[in-house]
Amino acid sequence: MKYEALLGALLPMTVLVAPAYATDYLSVAQAQSQFFPDASQFVDSTLNFDSDQRRQIKKNAGTRQRGETQQVWRAERDGENLGWMFVDNVIGKHEFITYALAVSPSGEVLGIEVLSYRETHGGEVREAGWRSQFEGKSLEDTLRLGKDVTNISGATLSCRNITDGVRRLLTMWDLYLKHA
Amino acid sequence: MLDPQAAARGAHTKRMRPLLGTFVEVATAGVDTRATNAVNQAFEAIREIHELASFQQPDSELSHLNANHGQWIQLSKHTLRLLRLARQMTEASEHLFNCTLGGMIIEHGVLPDHGGDFLPIGCADDIELAPGRARLVRPVRITLDGIAKGYAVDCAIKVLKCAGSSWGWVNAGGDLRVFGDFALPVAQRRADGSTRPLGALQNASLATSSAGGGLNPDTPGLILAGEDQPESSTPKAGNAQTFSVISRFAWRADALTKVAALAPKSQRAERIAHLGGVLIEE
Repeated sequence: MKYEALLGALLPMTVLVAPAYATDYLSVAQAQSQFFPDASQFVDSTLNFDSDQRRQIKKNAGTRQRGETQQVWRAERDGENLGWMFVDNVIGKHEFITYALAVSPSGEVLGIEVLSYRETHGGEVREAGWRSQFEGKSLEDTLRLGKDVTNISGATLSCRNITDGVRRLLTMWDLYLKHA
Repeated sequence: MLDPQAAARGAHTKRMRPLLGTFVEVATAGVDTRATNAVNQAFEAIREIHELASFQQPDSELSHLNANHGQWIQLSKHTLRLLRLARQMTEASEHLFNCTLGGMIIEHGVLPDHGGDFLPIGCADDIELAPGRARLVRPVRITLDGIAKGYAVDCAIKVLKCAGSSWGWVNAGGDLRVFGDFALPVAQRRADGSTRPLGALQNASLATSSAGGGLNPDTPGLILAGEDQPESSTPKAGNAQTFSVISRFAWRADALTKVAALAPKSQRAERIAHLGGVLIEE
């Protein structure tokens, strides 16, 4: 590519508003059908933990279990267990992430998808101004617009928190779902 | 006012997965099965590069090369191409970008030590390349971290194009490339977490790095930033600078952010231009 063309690649956009920080990728239902297209139903199998169980999870996984419950569904077809899908949240340096982890009946990771990604650090003042432009619109409209507005280039964010989260969820599978 | 770009762009399929140690977003035109398959294939291409070129994984091709200096090692086309590009950029940037400083990063405790003696830093001539194989002349530790994310983005874009996508983008934790008849509004996230809009990117790549203060005479070429920074040497947030570079290819933009972070301020823009990029000053 010619140098001039390269310079021209970054066009100033007068309509550009301050960046949005929320992106939704998949709903829970979309993630379920993506991971388990053959399933006929997803059985809510939410786990509830007492303090001993939370201690056990921390001991085995090496990371703290913050919540007292964990969302998880069992994918079934005609009563057959096809696997599990967890939905979990992790908090990073600038980001708050909801992701789904699919696990086979034998505990293998089938896939990970980020469902929702929110940047929380910095730019709050700008964002307030940005939101005020859309007064009268529903929150849903704002977010839908937001996810289409901007992509962010920045110093790389680590996905270590998801790696830790997956280890914690696999520990739960091992403790509570393996024989379920 | 609605964003006219968003309206003109139409429906698209967009996914994000944790890969390459960061969050990777892949998006492409359409919401049908073809688009979903294209996105899945693009992620698969990125995962393949990650497994080949990972310094962290002891069984990657790169780790195999690093562990066997002096021997010719058979390598896949991706690893060889990455080594060739990294070697060229190391030489062309007069070692401001330096892919042989893995040892130094091990000494800082940021990269794992897989064993054996090593030199903290080497030079471009430490890498010998031949068809289908490569050899390290001295026991340097090659790290492709400054270039592999961008390269993986390029590979993913190629996959999307081959799958018949008319437009799309891939963003691997800030290494971003956009293709097709479509402009993606982009913002730069700075070291303190704040962001600023840059404009719209079309048929080009943008990469951003933050670094804590340029060339350190004790550790030439070393950039530690963000969460990789050991507590002991964390620069004050106010000192950290953010550098963004635009280029045709993502691997080049990725590598040139390192050159930008290490070049003297007075030479920065000129050096980046000489090496095929455009520097966006903070």
